[in-house]
Amino acid sequence: MRALVIDDSRTMRRIVAGQLSNLGFETVEAADGRAALDLLEAGTEVELACIDWNMPVMNGLEFVGAVRENPAWRDVTLMMVTTESEQGQIVRALAAGAHEYLIKPFTPDAFREKLQLLGLVEYEEIA
Amino acid sequence: MTTDVTDAGGMGLDVDALGNTDPILSIAEEVFSAMIDGEPGLLNPWYGDRPDPVEPMHAWVDVHEAGSGRVLIEAERGTVVELTRALLAMGPDEEVTEADMVDGLGEVANVVGGNVKALVPETGVLTLPQVSSERPPTPAEDLLHELALDWRGRLVVLSLWRLP
Repeated sequence: MRALVIDDSRTMRRIVAGQLSNLGFETVEAADGRAALDLLEAGTEVELACIDWNMPVMNGLEFVGAVRENPAWRDVTLMMVTTESEQGQIVRALAAGAHEYLIKPFTPDAFREKLQLLGLVEYEEIA
Repeated sequence: MTTDVTDAGGMGLDVDALGNTDPILSIAEEVFSAMIDGEPGLLNPWYGDRPDPVEPMHAWVDVHEAGSGRVLIEAERGTVVELTRALLAMGPDEEVTEADMVDGLGEVANVVGGNVKALVPETGVLTLPQVSSERPPTPAEDLLHELALDWRGRLVVLSLWRLP
């Protein structure tokens, strides 16, 4: 599976991409929503996008809206990964079409759990 | 620990109501344990006198609309190197670049600031982080809250400021 990591922070892209890699994902990265849309429009296929909210050029919420407007990308799972933690912001993102919402800071376990909820990572068997 | 609570205004945050359970400290502890250390307990209140910072670096984000305030993190350059190394899980021999440091410290400020913003009742707008060796203008009378923190024996100062 391939995931698109969208964050203006190179540090956060590396952290998220690293955790995705540990879970078996290939990753591609973009520094803002517009750059991410450019990748999708160029034919880059991804099953998952991990999206920061506050970014220059095009923010995460605008990116979610743009993806949801294009039927060709309907199968892309969208997960916000952001510091925006107010309930109202979460509702806005989900209403715009995001499937899941992960608040920074997060642990690798919390990240995995969200992907499990989305059906993108299998639940580990408990011995 | 050096904690000054000088005002309850600005940012719409009632810092007088923090009492003995300081949510700013809790946020800092959570950010460091989840993002940087991978385990709790390595960020603690700073006790005793603070050393004069050598080559300090500053990272801050501002909150607008829900009151206006600034969340500022200050640490010595050497501390930022180690903080960045931990944040990016870099080995002891890997070079930490200036870009890594600026981006890493800025992201820490961003995450702390975003969680501080969530304490404010109204929804505010968070700016993108800024990082500089120069301290941003912070008149003493606009200080809302300050925490001196000990991260692995190194001083990290987290402060909240009222903006005009």
